[in-house]
Amino acid sequence: MEHKRITVFLAIIWGVVAILPLFFGSTNFIMHILIMCLIWSVVASCWDLIMGFAGIFSFGQVAFFVIGSYSSAIISARLGVPPVFSVFIAGIFTAGLGVLVGLPCLKLKGAYIALVTFAVHMILEPVLKGDIGRALGTGGARGILTIAPMNIFGYTFTSSDPIPYFYLLFLVAVVCSVIILMVIKSHWGTAFLALKDAEEFASCLGVSAFKYKLMVFALTSFLTGMIGGFYAHYVGMLSTRMLGIDLFVTLMIILVIGGVGKFPGAVIGAFITIAVNEMLSPLGSYRPIILGGLVVVLVLALPDGITGLFEKMFSEKKQGLSH
Amino acid sequence: MLKLTNVTKKFGELTAVNSLSFTVSKGQVFGIAGPNGAGKSTLYNLISGLYPFEGAISFNGKEIAGLSPHQIAKLGISRTFQIPQIFPSLSVEKSIGVGNHFGSREGFEQDYVDKVLEFVNLHDKRHAMVGQLNLLDKKMIMIGAALATKPEVLMLDEPMAGSNAKEIIQLMELIQRINRDLGVTIIIIEHFMKVLTELTEKLLIIETGTEICCGDPVEVTGDPRVIECYLGDGT
Repeated sequence: MEHKRITVFLAIIWGVVAILPLFFGSTNFIMHILIMCLIWSVVASCWDLIMGFAGIFSFGQVAFFVIGSYSSAIISARLGVPPVFSVFIAGIFTAGLGVLVGLPCLKLKGAYIALVTFAVHMILEPVLKGDIGRALGTGGARGILTIAPMNIFGYTFTSSDPIPYFYLLFLVAVVCSVIILMVIKSHWGTAFLALKDAEEFASCLGVSAFKYKLMVFALTSFLTGMIGGFYAHYVGMLSTRMLGIDLFVTLMIILVIGGVGKFPGAVIGAFITIAVNEMLSPLGSYRPIILGGLVVVLVLALPDGITGLFEKMFSEKKQGLSH
Repeated sequence: MLKLTNVTKKFGELTAVNSLSFTVSKGQVFGIAGPNGAGKSTLYNLISGLYPFEGAISFNGKEIAGLSPHQIAKLGISRTFQIPQIFPSLSVEKSIGVGNHFGSREGFEQDYVDKVLEFVNLHDKRHAMVGQLNLLDKKMIMIGAALATKPEVLMLDEPMAGSNAKEIIQLMELIQRINRDLGVTIIIIEHFMKVLTELTEKLLIIETGTEICCGDPVEVTGDPRVIECYLGDGT
């Protein structure tokens, strides 16, 4: 999609999201869902940047989210750092780990990167639950039960009053999506796409695969870790249940619905997936089956997701106008 | 300008390049030929830093062994690939811009990208997505992107492969213009002997990674060892 069109598309999406509390502000349950949509939109957009644009099949996104959330909770509780700063420290810490995970991935391709990054996901749960985790303050299998709420200039954001937290996270999500948009528009984005399409040729044209691959690992894990911190201070408690397959599959569905490599598709995908998932909750155990079926239908009908459909509509309209 | 000394590359038991030594002078068009599997493309992969090797390769007096491909590109050695490697996610202009932005020592210059687009005759297709173009255009994009790095040496890997007679003439003219007008030293791997005898000043023939002979293209193509290498000894 052209950069100008992405910018307009993104502005429309965030414009619509900004006024949603006018309609749903009185219902805490719906506001909670909208807040979760904002959080997952950032995580999914980061995953889209590393996988869809840079072509790195990283399956460590949920792990980085959990690392960020635990880090911020521990830093604020143990070191007394205010949550407004601990989320950024958690982001930096997660970025460091992201680079460490990214280093061995530089020598690997495709499915092997997926295996290495998913291994990080798999080992995280025993680490958080085990002796190392308990020593660090993860609470072991019990998790962290009390996390200080976000406090900025003396104002405390609590989950019982979700509208202020919605707008705080709205601001964070908008900033994150603008950062991602700027990266895509810049020479970083061009380098990511060139390396994804033809790595050897791109390297022989002067693109440093080492530099740009590590950059994308650092950036996406920073933003994911930071938003994980905001999540921790919003929900007030953490456990390793987040590392279950549910969240991982939900994020995948978000990307499939939005369109892989079709930013800002991940933002739309997050709102649709989380909303549909909640609407299907009365179906109980049938919910995953219905959701899975919907995904299969969507993949077959819209292989490039909803954003791909919009692109097609725009290009057909443009062709129609030119004839 | 570019000097290879006893360059060897082994893949396990297989010796793909066997103690090759040759020198390419500034401004020269240097040809490399040999049967399939002779190690020609492997040789390019060694010079461009894609594979490690034994021996020494120096460029303008600087040893380039151990440098990564992007560092070698920045030094002034650029290349194309036998099977067009293109960027389907990018437009023609952006694809060529990749070479200029990342490979040129002088940084990105839109004027130079425009000049390259004109040079490879793609200015009318600058906004087209690369994946939509035909084979000749894709080859032109590869050559254009490599040229956009402002190379001193351009290594072309079988640029005529899959081209018809008219396209071969177009490509030959382009290669001559790159060498003559831009002053770029050319190394070309090719199977078409007519192309090599017309374009090159010096021709190296290799078989199973070993030099058969090297010298004036007309003399080399008439050498019995080269004829035997291509046609067998007749027994």
